[in-house]
Amino acid sequence: MKRFRILLSTEFKAWRRDPITALGGFIPPTLILIAFGLLLGGRLNFKLAVINHDAGSYGEVLRETLAEVESPFGVPYYGVLELSEEEAWETYRAYRIDGMWIIPEDFSAKLEAGNNPEIEMYFINYNNDRAKNHRIYSAEILWHFYEKIGQPAPTIELAEEYPRSEMVHWFPVIAVGVTLLAVTLGGAFNVYALTYKEQISRLTLEFGLSPRSLLWVLLPKTILALLAGIVTGTAFLGILYLWLGVWPGIYLWAVWLLFGLVALFWIALALVVGLRARNYMAGAIGAVLGALLVFFVSGGLNLWRWNAHNVNWFSWLFPYIYAVDPLRDMILFNAWPVDWKSALTITSAFAAGALAIGWSFATRKLRRMG
Amino acid sequence: MRRLLLLILNELKMVRTALPIHLIAVFQPALMYLIMASVLVHPTFEVNITEPTDDAGKRLLEAMYDVGSPDGVPYINPVFLDDNDPIGAGIVTVEEIGDQPTAIYRYGLIDSNIVKNLRNRLTAAALRVWDDSLDGRAVTIIERPWLPHDPTYNLYFGMAMLPMTTFLAASLIGGFLTAQEFEFDTILEYRLSPVSPAVVLTARLVRLVLISWLSAGILLTVIGLLNDVWPASILAVTLILIPIALVGGGIGISAGLLLRSSLPAFVIGLGSAFACWILGAAFGLPAGFSGAYEFVSRFVPNSYAVELLFPLYYDTTIGDSIRPILALTIFSAVALGLAALAYRRRVLTCQE
Repeated sequence: MKRFRILLSTEFKAWRRDPITALGGFIPPTLILIAFGLLLGGRLNFKLAVINHDAGSYGEVLRETLAEVESPFGVPYYGVLELSEEEAWETYRAYRIDGMWIIPEDFSAKLEAGNNPEIEMYFINYNNDRAKNHRIYSAEILWHFYEKIGQPAPTIELAEEYPRSEMVHWFPVIAVGVTLLAVTLGGAFNVYALTYKEQISRLTLEFGLSPRSLLWVLLPKTILALLAGIVTGTAFLGILYLWLGVWPGIYLWAVWLLFGLVALFWIALALVVGLRARNYMAGAIGAVLGALLVFFVSGGLNLWRWNAHNVNWFSWLFPYIYAVDPLRDMILFNAWPVDWKSALTITSAFAAGALAIGWSFATRKLRRMG
Repeated sequence: MRRLLLLILNELKMVRTALPIHLIAVFQPALMYLIMASVLVHPTFEVNITEPTDDAGKRLLEAMYDVGSPDGVPYINPVFLDDNDPIGAGIVTVEEIGDQPTAIYRYGLIDSNIVKNLRNRLTAAALRVWDDSLDGRAVTIIERPWLPHDPTYNLYFGMAMLPMTTFLAASLIGGFLTAQEFEFDTILEYRLSPVSPAVVLTARLVRLVLISWLSAGILLTVIGLLNDVWPASILAVTLILIPIALVGGGIGISAGLLLRSSLPAFVIGLGSAFACWILGAAFGLPAGFSGAYEFVSRFVPNSYAVELLFPLYYDTTIGDSIRPILALTIFSAVALGLAALAYRRRVLTCQE
């Protein structure tokens, strides 16, 4: 135990000397979080100009409807801008607005006469997702417009039921994903920080010659990196609390547990790479970029449970995807995840397997060097 | 000039000393694009529905198949579920409520983005049924899209990754190589060298630009093969990416010089590359997002590069090209100035 304490204290002293790398799990995810906050934290609607030439009153009703109908984001689908026709065309052509609706002079007259009224929808369609949104948003607008002007009742009414009373928005979903990324990078970067100086000063050779079990070397590194990963994640939870007002509350211990299990997987992976003298940095860069890739494709940007059949095979190879939705349950809704047992079992298996492989592989490598 | 050429040659030879890192920087973005392209948004959503038995439900189902783009891409793929099947994102059932047929969407989640997508699709289908009953009183929307066809989201996403790829390769390799000069004490050679710092930095930057081009070229090929869309001019793409490579290289070299350690330099290169990517029109043109995002994106070089790349991929312009060219020139000058200052501080005056 004394040996362990000495090694742990030595590692801790080395760790303190490289603050930027120690913050490696914090700096990139913070930048990514801020970037996503700016991207998705604002008003998510289409900027639209409405050119109303209608001689009657329905054109104005339609314009009002456009500005009123709200999406599940809690804002209107369209942010209607007050622009003259000339300004509208100019801004549309320069792509500073998303679209223009032009209501013709005879719109009301045709509507009243049942003579197939039409409107023109100019829209930016540089990608099929935005084009699709323009088409299906317009359906929402017309539906409410019909109701507003007292069209005959629809053939089929619409109703909705939700599993919860509140809606969760895109940015909080991503923010939890970034938090788990921070845990991952926090663990991985700190292993690299703890092995880097040893690589540069060839201390790994001394490890290899040690008469004692090399677990005495690997265990303190693993524990310190694990703590660093969990601390990074907890710091992110603090940011989430201040920014979004969410906190796991009584489930904090379970959040820490999942953080730790996911971090251990990457720590073991990083240990294998970090203790190899050749291609050390290439391995470090590859592992960290790999963790970022996992974040982007394995549920970091979306809830995946409802869409499990569309998750690609690559994502199932890493523990991230199994932990991220249960974490969202606890952090965003203070709710116990329905799949807690499976999440815990799978992430534990990943962590145990990775540690067993990582430690034995790292030990063999060190011995070979010795 | 001869010294510069020799230094460039030497820089290129040095690729062999860090081949795995170069391979990662060159191939990783293309791999990332390939994997991300498989999970990016697609207009067709599966909509779970209980197989309708009444007339109204059957008409709704028919309308669901009709909702889509004029290009023929359906927006709804109805999936029939039985009572005992898990509902996933939700399920639509058509029921009689007070003699009125009602399509009830029972959602299995509360993710606003998914709910929005599912709700809009159901409304679009139900509106078609309503329109059919209105005869001449139904309002027709005449579509006037900006482009004749809807390009896939994958195309835009890939195009916006080109500057990120360039930035990442230049900043990673620039930071790593420069920091290693301190770690292996080879920086002494630069300190003793009579060659002008401008020549040394130029040689390194030429190397970084070439490697960045290679990385972007591989991604460009993958985008082309995946989407069957190629830029109007490869030469123009390479020219647009030069300032991005200079910015990435300038930041990487500065980080390497100031931090003198590979790992922290990597952290800075990685963080700046990904932040500039997300803030620099990664997921859509900045005008389509919030005012704050649009404002911040003006301070990110990637936004201007995307603005210049856009006409090459979409055969249409989004404003004049003078402003982005000017902005990229300024960004490059600032990054190079920063690298020159850092070089002066750490190499020429040996300040610790």
